[in-house]
Amino acid sequence: MPGKLEIQCPALFVTVSVISAKGLSKRFGQKQALDGVSFEVGGGDLFGLFGPNGAGKTTLLRILTGQLEQDGGEGKVLDVDVKADPMEVKRRVGIVPEVESPPTYLTAYEYLYFVSRVRQIPDIDARIDRWFDFFDLKESRDIICRDLSKGMRQKLMLASAFIHEPKLLFLDEPFINLDPIFQREVREYLLEYVRKGGTVFMCSHILEIAERLCNRAAIIADGRIIRIGEMSDLVKGGASLEEVFLKLVGKEG
Amino acid sequence: MRTLLWLMLKEELRTHTTYSGPRRFFTFPVMVFIFSFIFAMSMQRLLQGTSLEQLALVAQASAFIYGIGVGSFGFMGKQYIERGYGAKNYLVAIPALLPITYRKTFLGLYLRDSIFYIALVLLPATCGLALGAPFVGFKVTSILLFFAAEVLGFQLGTSISFLGSVLYTRSTPAFVAFTSGIIALVFLGGSAMLFDVRLLVPSIGFQFSVPPFGDDLEGALLLASASLAVIAATTLMALALVRFRYVSRDSKHETLLPKYMTRFRISGRYKELIGKEFVDLRRSGTVGKMFFSFILPLVFLSFTSWFVNSGLGIPVGFNTVFYGAMVGFMGILLYSWLNNVDSTDYYSLLPLTVPNVVRARIMIFLILTTGISAIFVVIISAVQHELDILWLSLLVMFVTSFYMVVMTAYLTGIRTNTFLFDMSVMSRFAIMSFIPDVGLAILSFSIRTHWAIALTGIAIVLFLLLGNTAILYYSIERKWKGTGFDV
Repeated sequence: MPGKLEIQCPALFVTVSVISAKGLSKRFGQKQALDGVSFEVGGGDLFGLFGPNGAGKTTLLRILTGQLEQDGGEGKVLDVDVKADPMEVKRRVGIVPEVESPPTYLTAYEYLYFVSRVRQIPDIDARIDRWFDFFDLKESRDIICRDLSKGMRQKLMLASAFIHEPKLLFLDEPFINLDPIFQREVREYLLEYVRKGGTVFMCSHILEIAERLCNRAAIIADGRIIRIGEMSDLVKGGASLEEVFLKLVGKEG
Repeated sequence: MRTLLWLMLKEELRTHTTYSGPRRFFTFPVMVFIFSFIFAMSMQRLLQGTSLEQLALVAQASAFIYGIGVGSFGFMGKQYIERGYGAKNYLVAIPALLPITYRKTFLGLYLRDSIFYIALVLLPATCGLALGAPFVGFKVTSILLFFAAEVLGFQLGTSISFLGSVLYTRSTPAFVAFTSGIIALVFLGGSAMLFDVRLLVPSIGFQFSVPPFGDDLEGALLLASASLAVIAATTLMALALVRFRYVSRDSKHETLLPKYMTRFRISGRYKELIGKEFVDLRRSGTVGKMFFSFILPLVFLSFTSWFVNSGLGIPVGFNTVFYGAMVGFMGILLYSWLNNVDSTDYYSLLPLTVPNVVRARIMIFLILTTGISAIFVVIISAVQHELDILWLSLLVMFVTSFYMVVMTAYLTGIRTNTFLFDMSVMSRFAIMSFIPDVGLAILSFSIRTHWAIALTGIAIVLFLLLGNTAILYYSIERKWKGTGFDV
């Protein structure tokens, strides 16, 4: 059974905007991946971004985390310009990518140790133990990432994003490959995390979980935000998020 | 098989054009053609400082070494297959999902790279030489025979490397036995003259049996047949031995990373990256790859020099200073391997930049090669009774090694294999490596006859290389700062 984790995220950014996008655009060859995307995410939000495959979700997340440069517009994360200082953004946030891809030849322990050293965090072993306990990874401590199951690798990627206790998390499909027990554990952790002042920006196709989890959300299609607001406003009238989503992207029925 | 090969060729092409674009990529063979034409046109001038036999030997040995570098499909395929997760995957790994054998995809890999690299490098180079041939008094038939020898040498290298790498992935003792067997065959068989010494490297023997070096048609046919027989036998053995199985390998590994970081703490802010990359090198078995890519070509070069001198009776001796320069220039093979150990996608999640990784890999290169290179040069100088010029040879080796790796790192970042096929990168690389390479080679040839001139020339070249190394090293930050790890 997974261990319990005490959240130590400082209660900051309760009302301040921590993510700000103004007219972000990105083109890959002939494809306009993002087309003037603007929105804000406030401190303490658990913000969900949903959209069909190829809508621009991962591109937007990668721009906001300094992994990719936008062609136009401005992005700010924790008041840092993502284009001007992507390293500072990466220092301050935790990122879980769409595909779980930890380094092939490091053991689970070594990967978290490497991340901790690069991020210059104190009490490395205590923190690694805490997350190994939370994700039930102790048995996999000395196994190289190549030989871990997909679920174990996903847990490791989540642990590597949480280990430095950032104020903002960017999660791309965080529940993928996790069994129901750990889907619930991660869900509860994220709720506790935002209660204590952290902020989450999350992309997901698992709309049932997202509907229960997120307080704000946006739907993106063809590189444009087509709906944004409070989750309660999006699903009002008894419709589920899935129904709203299908209707908005024109695939219902 | 035809469909698979066609798709694999397209896959290889797309891998290369992803980074540089099709137009720049397809200009690469054009540049090779132009360089080789210029080389042919300046042949008469080059022959004032060196002999045609020396040039032919270097060209044929290079084709074989190039083949050794290209043919390590066992390592390459294993890496793709084991990298079943991550952002990219290749057709060679498709047997995991479809009813097709690894034997078939590895044959595809072998044929794909043979076609791809002959068409991309050897063919345009020969066409350039053929175009320049009439102007410098060579017959086109000699150029065609030269091309045939190059292709045979390249395929020999590719096939032997293929077999060696497959053996390595299956059994370390078998790999050791294989390489020991080759070395025993070459040195014991060759020196005891148990058989026609030309059979040891049949493609080079073939080259020196046909015009303009010889006129032994019967011997040439025998050597060509011997080359083809070795190519077929080693390739078929490699294919028969290819086997990959998905097995649960949750074996435990000793924790190495903290120890390695402590060991490399002198490297300051790079100790985390250097420690991590050394763990990768150790666990991925890159020591074997190093053997293939670095040490074996050096041994081969020294052997071919001995072989052509003693076996064929053609005087083409290279001195230790020449070897010092060659060691330095072969360093790019090793830097290229450092960029292929593992995917770097996850670095983009951390506060790390491409220049951080490039610099860490330059340091790793120096840590790995300095000792081996120095030992090699010392041995060569002792064997050749040239201890009087050992100091100069070591100096040449250190400076050229450092220059070549920094220059390659500056031009190609963490994607050496791909960017070297970008026309603009390749042309700069060719100029920046070819000019000092040829300069040092020619100066080394005259070191015994014109000591003062040769020494002054070498000093000037080394001084310029050091200056360039410093400039390029500090320019890495500016050039690669904005680049992503997975773009």
